[in-house]
Amino acid sequence: MEGIKEFINAICRPAPFLVLAIVALGLFLALYRKLTKPAAAAVLGGGFTLFFLLSCLDPNFQKIVAKADNVPIVMMMFAIGYFLWLSFRQAALNDAAIEAGQPLREAGSDDKVLVWPDLVYSEFISLILFTAFLTVWAIVLRAPLEQPADPNVAPNPAKAPWYFLGLQEMLVYFDPWLAGVLLPGLIIVGLVAIPYIDTNPRGNGYYTFKERRFAITMFLAGFVILWVVLIIFGTFLRGPNWNFFGPYEYWDMHKPMALLNTEFHDLFWTGLLGRALPTEGRGPIPAYLIREAPGIALLGAYFILGPLILRVLFFRKLAAKMGLIRYSVMVMLLLVMLLMPIKMVLRWTINLHYIVGITEWSLNV
Amino acid sequence: MPTKDLVTKVWIEPGCIVCDACETTAPTVFEVTDDTCIIRPAALNAEFTKPITQSIIDAAEECPVDVIKFDVAPVEVSEEQAAAMEAAAAAPKPAAVEHAAPATAAAPPAAKAAPTAVPGKTAEPATATAKTAPHAPVSVAGASDPAIAALLRAASSRGGNVMIQKRDESQGMSADAMKRTDPRELPADARQAMLLEAAKKAKDEGMTRRAFMSGAALGIGWVAFGVGTGVAVGPAFGRFMMPNVLEEPDPKVRVGKIQKYLEMQPGEVNEDYKPQGIWIIREEDRIAALSIICTHLGCIPNWLPNDRKFKCPCHGSGYKPNGINFEGPTPRPLERFNVNVEDGIVIVDKSKKYQWELGQWDQPGSFIQT
Repeated sequence: MEGIKEFINAICRPAPFLVLAIVALGLFLALYRKLTKPAAAAVLGGGFTLFFLLSCLDPNFQKIVAKADNVPIVMMMFAIGYFLWLSFRQAALNDAAIEAGQPLREAGSDDKVLVWPDLVYSEFISLILFTAFLTVWAIVLRAPLEQPADPNVAPNPAKAPWYFLGLQEMLVYFDPWLAGVLLPGLIIVGLVAIPYIDTNPRGNGYYTFKERRFAITMFLAGFVILWVVLIIFGTFLRGPNWNFFGPYEYWDMHKPMALLNTEFHDLFWTGLLGRALPTEGRGPIPAYLIREAPGIALLGAYFILGPLILRVLFFRKLAAKMGLIRYSVMVMLLLVMLLMPIKMVLRWTINLHYIVGITEWSLNV
Repeated sequence: MPTKDLVTKVWIEPGCIVCDACETTAPTVFEVTDDTCIIRPAALNAEFTKPITQSIIDAAEECPVDVIKFDVAPVEVSEEQAAAMEAAAAAPKPAAVEHAAPATAAAPPAAKAAPTAVPGKTAEPATATAKTAPHAPVSVAGASDPAIAALLRAASSRGGNVMIQKRDESQGMSADAMKRTDPRELPADARQAMLLEAAKKAKDEGMTRRAFMSGAALGIGWVAFGVGTGVAVGPAFGRFMMPNVLEEPDPKVRVGKIQKYLEMQPGEVNEDYKPQGIWIIREEDRIAALSIICTHLGCIPNWLPNDRKFKCPCHGSGYKPNGINFEGPTPRPLERFNVNVEDGIVIVDKSKKYQWELGQWDQPGSFIQT
């Protein structure tokens, strides 16, 4: 039993966890027709529930999941599993129907309903049920009140509300203005831009995965991996001093962690070229720009060569269909999104602090 | 296999007068819109136009301004189809017969073969075909092969029935019903009337100079009123939003005798004045005051004496005892406050800060030399 717990703690280190989550999502998308069959889905869902309940026997695990703050996230994990299954089940049936030349499941269904009584009734019933649910919740789970606020003491760990834990996790890897302003802004702008970027009418009004593989995969990568998984990190795996802990691990305030930061400019100048960091500016160019030149060049190559390479490798047809502007916007958003997991993995594996670290300008990527 | 000239492509050149004739003749091909006529998308396919060649030719000839153009190409057809086409060409309208006649003559093999399309009938001379043709669709509609039946129905659908039915519907319409109907469904004259009415209405509603001037005057008046009110009330409101008293603690904090800081070991941290936002630290030959605000995002780190580091609980930034950052996301070290000694008492001035990345930690006032 201890061995199993050790193993699960080990694969819940951030890097393996993220890789496993990506692999699991990829497998699910590849095998969605088989995995969404009711029997297979029941095995998956039941297996996870059993694992979860057995895990609750562990005092450390129970302490985390039963915390009143964290109950919504437990519910969210099950809800996301259920809704993923529900939508992909219908997509699987529809895709099979399309291949067989049969009508879609949604064909012929007239989903217009009357506001009164149909809509108002169901809204009213939902309202009553939800009020009852919230009342019971408020009675059963006490609000997690803490000591009076003290501007000189932050609780350890200090966690954002659960729905912001993804943003808080992002702040660990990027400069505050990037992770707190630019990237969240880009998330919102990107979501707003989707109807203008993705003008493909397929999938309107019916479930399908086969006809919209790229769009749905990208959406799920952003939502499940870069939002839900980060919330799970923040909720269950981040402990005191904002260190990572396994799900069965005791939250030790003094857990020794070797997290000495590596700077990209050190890797380049000292590691690769074997010389000291440049400290002298050249003409109008200050020393820190020369120091950070390799990082700037790397990021520049990522954003300039990235679209071209992706176009040659994967998006030849898509780019032709989308046109230059639409493709550029799409691929830029995609690259910014990909920068997240890249930077996270670099931090976890080699403790890379910043690729470009111009502290003088508060520009740290 | 007989060969026939069939329409493979049909298009409309500019100049349509929206007369509706073509849609009446070949409703599956032409769609007369409000201002022109278009080819229905389905009819942009050669396979679609081939079987209804005759109705397209008729529509082109009926067009009063001759804007309907088409390409023909010789296509091999089965004998049944050829017969059906002959029948259609000869069939419904007297006007069409004379146009169709050359076509019949041009394809004698097909005409001769025609009777084979009608099971049970013996071969007849080609000339007879034209006469019997009007009945052919009826007699062949029940043909055993459904594809042939469909072909025949398509061929005979031009003119005739469709036109009559359409007229009946539109003429039976009340004015109310016409208003409710989608304009595209209406016959051309009704549509024209609706357009005229709409144009007239738009003209009636056009703005007169008087109406415009009075509207503009009203608008300007309201804007002036709004601006005036804002100018008059705004500053008062802004003043109201500002507090009358701003409580701010004295930035100069007396943190006790220097003696106790001189007794500290290098690397030690004094947390006594954390409530005032200050850590007093001891370096080899210096005493300095650190701000307790994390330079990453403004949380309050904890001093972990066992680990000999400051560690922020919000995002995991870590600082060495002298305030230099070494782990986590924070981009720069903790800030230092101005310190000086007066009568053996250390005074920290929180209004002056020294930042390491700007090279200010060696400036006088940022430390006390021991």
